[in-house]
Amino acid sequence: MFNPEILIVGAGLAGVAAATELARAGHPVLIVDRAARAGGAIHRQPLPGQAGVATAAARWNRLIAEAEALPIRWAFETRFNGVDHQGTALLTGAENRMLRPKALILTTGAREAVRPRPGWTLPGVTTAGAAQIQLKTMGAAPQGRVVLAGSGPLLIALGAQMTRLKNPPVAIVEAGRPFAHPLTSLRLPLGYLREAAGYMATLLAARVPILTGTRLAAIRAEGETLVSTLTDGNTSREIVADMVCLHDGIRRNDIGLTDCPALSVLRLGDCAEALGARAALEAGRAGGRAMAQALATGTTPTAPNSPLLDRERAAQARLARIYAHDDFAALHSLPSDTVICRCEGRTLDDLRALGPAPRTRELRLLGRFGMGPCQGRFCGEWVARAISDTPQAPVPAHPLGEPRWPAAPIAVADLHAAAPDTGAAPPHPHGVHE
Amino acid sequence: MNAEGIYDAVVIGAGVVGASSAWHLAQAGLSVALVDAEGPAAAASGASDGAVSVASKKPGPLARLATASLLYTRDLAQGGPLSSAYHPRPSYIFGTGSAESAAIDALIAKLAQLGTAVRLRADGDATLLPGVGTGIDRVVALEGEGHMPGYAAVQGYLREPRIDRFWPAPVTALEESGSEVRIVLGTQTLRAKRVIAALGTATPRLFPTLPVLPRAGQLFVTDRGLAGQLPGALTSAAYLLAKTTAPSVLPKPPVVIDPLATGQYLIGSTREDHGDPTRVDFETLRELMLRAVEAWPALRARRVIRAFAGVRAAVSDGLPIVGSAPGYERVLLATGFEGDGICLSAVIGREAARMTAGLSPDAALAADFAALSPARFAQVQEGAA
Amino acid sequence: MSGGTIFWGSRAVPFLTGESVASALGRAGVRSFGLGPTGTARAVFCGIGQCQNCLVSIEGRSAEACLTICRDGLHVLPEAEGLSDV
Ligand SMILES: Cc1cc2nc3c(=O)[nH]c(=O)nc-3n(C[C@H](O)[C@H](O)[C@H](O)COP(=O)(O)OP(=O)(O)OC[C@H]3O[C@@H](n4cnc5c(N)ncnc54)[C@H](O)[C@@H]3O)c2cc1C
Ligand code: FES
Repeated sequence: MFNPEILIVGAGLAGVAAATELARAGHPVLIVDRAARAGGAIHRQPLPGQAGVATAAARWNRLIAEAEALPIRWAFETRFNGVDHQGTALLTGAENRMLRPKALILTTGAREAVRPRPGWTLPGVTTAGAAQIQLKTMGAAPQGRVVLAGSGPLLIALGAQMTRLKNPPVAIVEAGRPFAHPLTSLRLPLGYLREAAGYMATLLAARVPILTGTRLAAIRAEGETLVSTLTDGNTSREIVADMVCLHDGIRRNDIGLTDCPALSVLRLGDCAEALGARAALEAGRAGGRAMAQALATGTTPTAPNSPLLDRERAAQARLARIYAHDDFAALHSLPSDTVICRCEGRTLDDLRALGPAPRTRELRLLGRFGMGPCQGRFCGEWVARAISDTPQAPVPAHPLGEPRWPAAPIAVADLHAAAPDTGAAPPHPHGVHE
Repeated sequence: MNAEGIYDAVVIGAGVVGASSAWHLAQAGLSVALVDAEGPAAAASGASDGAVSVASKKPGPLARLATASLLYTRDLAQGGPLSSAYHPRPSYIFGTGSAESAAIDALIAKLAQLGTAVRLRADGDATLLPGVGTGIDRVVALEGEGHMPGYAAVQGYLREPRIDRFWPAPVTALEESGSEVRIVLGTQTLRAKRVIAALGTATPRLFPTLPVLPRAGQLFVTDRGLAGQLPGALTSAAYLLAKTTAPSVLPKPPVVIDPLATGQYLIGSTREDHGDPTRVDFETLRELMLRAVEAWPALRARRVIRAFAGVRAAVSDGLPIVGSAPGYERVLLATGFEGDGICLSAVIGREAARMTAGLSPDAALAADFAALSPARFAQVQEGAA
Repeated sequence: MSGGTIFWGSRAVPFLTGESVASALGRAGVRSFGLGPTGTARAVFCGIGQCQNCLVSIEGRSAEACLTICRDGLHVLPEAEGLSDV
């Protein structure tokens, strides 16, 4: 009988690094990604024939060359819909079947947090990550007047990348006051400082306005243009643009990912803990080795740890302090008709109509929060914070209920074509990079 | 509550049966408290479809009680507690092959005996309902049934302000002494003259001698489309057989396709002898969906966005348990409704409240309620001894 | 590298090899993808398949415009227009 594969979900740094380690240890590995190519978030590759915007390209090129020399099977445009309690995974898309893997490694990366604001559902309003993907795949900056707003180091990075591609943003609107913490900043790792200094030099040279301590409070459409209201607490003003890119932080993308009693499951990289690229590479390698070890000894693999991961953890904590700001007040002062759940169009009013301290079931069944196809990825955190009355209250890991499959919607037509696993060999030999 | 802190009645379990019972007690002017280990609709009532269906009931007491409950649900929806929960709609039964066709014949005969609450509107082939797949031999359209999500019904009953509520509050013991029952909720104790226990699958925890078993059912929900394309539930005749036949001899997987008000479809459901709501699997999803698409091919263009299991409380002999709890004078059981509790809840709540107030059940239903009495298990045990 | 043409309704939209439907539409100036079943505007938001806001009807099936790679001749419609079941 065919030796079952280890399934790795997500061909970013963590996934490819884990695949490499496992394949080197002699395990048959299948790595799937719903994107068309490997790269994940940070190393998103340009379209064939387009010039890319290389970010630490040497790191990726080394890794991918190493991976491609090993007998790893790759399946792109392939969606992992989840794993059920029996240990059966459903793959749909280019590789379309049920699969009983020997083990499962989840490296599904991060998702962006975007705080709700009036107008955040208008066409032309995207996440900063979406704009960055467009930029990386096309090798060109998004066109027209672009405002970047929210909070976090990504705004500066994206602003600088756009500037280098000849379309600087009309403004970067940062809710925190990152320049007011020089001492904390200096304790960041050197690599972080060097990267930030490079971005700042680019932005300053191009005179891109960076408004700190300023929130983008609301967006309205006027014809094809978007008018954003900015406020720094005392004064407010308007800014006109063609596109608004929002970003309020990075979270792990673990919605719909269940553990499975029938299978060894390891989560690595940003989907376990959003610590950035260096950590994802390290965790992918160490996690791949830990899984190989566990399979050899019949034990349960443990999540990797290392001094590098500790350093990245400390750096992320510092960054959080540098960018800290009061978005709790901003959330609680939103107009009551602001959409919170984008999928189902549910507003703050709808949330308040559930009464004080609604339970998860009430939030879901009566409020319909988390009931749309994104499964609460974009509203869960804000629902939890909007119904809490303490700014410091920790947001539960799964505010809208424990994870359950599907990790992504399952097209019924694909489901039909997905034959159950019979234990036979996979459709293509290992080592074929399609 | 009276001056000594004693309720006329405490209802344990805020599922649809408990909520209906509490509402009916409050209407009768009794002081009532409703207690739940977690909260309203936390178990089967919040994880189920909401067919208010006579067609799917076993002939006999269940079919008669379902008919009475359907009529009464319609009353309660006329400006009453169920007005935003219950929606009338047609229902359709489909089948392929002789076993399913025979089940449809039996259904038509059963409905004829039950009066006019549910009427056969049409009996034909797949062309009877535009959109049904051409591989389907026979479709019948029924009129008179409806749909009511369990959580919406619970919410409707709980709009009654005269019900005191205690949750999350697991009941750890029931102590009956003299004219009073003490309901122990961890550190707190409630006192009541009467208790209704509507505990669903948790029944054996307080009443270990009763043969109430968990029976899980997997359910799947699609994304939204245009509402109203399928006017009512589309149920396979195999589903009718499933209620009377062992699953292994079913001709086709039993499937119900229920159009929701949101334009989503709910596809259900299995009957599995365990109580683990995390056991939801892709092979079952695929098998149900294959049959569902045969019946309603447009489902092929949809996406499944949610999968979950609810756990029903089944009874070894297939009938619910309503009546005085063994070993107690003042505790009434209302449990074991398996896949029929939402449909039956209106009448069960009304009659449980009557019995609790010391009245006998509605005369027309007395014989059917007698068949549900828990005393039937005591007889079995004595007979066996 | 020119990859061919997709159709947004009756409008021909060129695409580059490997490009997503969302990207091709966006470059053609189509940033509103029409309406979803609840009347919400469909458009790119997250760009990576997580938010489900960019759903369009592709060859009769709802799909994420940001994840679907263009193939020559693909027919794309606003989601609500592709939804009829009967
Ligand atoms: C917008 C944004 C900007 C960032 N900017 C920086 C930065 O400037 N510097 C930095 O150090 N870090 C940055 N990060 C973080 C950095 O990108 C990550 O830490 C790192 O890339 C994580 O690697 P990973 O392998 O864990 O996940 P990823 O690289 O994200 O890989 C996950 C892969 O999983 C796939 N996937 C997810 N779900 C499924 C599914 N169900 N089926 C199939 N495939 C699936 C995705 O398509 C993706 O390819 C940023 C992150 C984001 C989101
Ligand atoms: S833009 Fe979010 S899923 Fe496509």
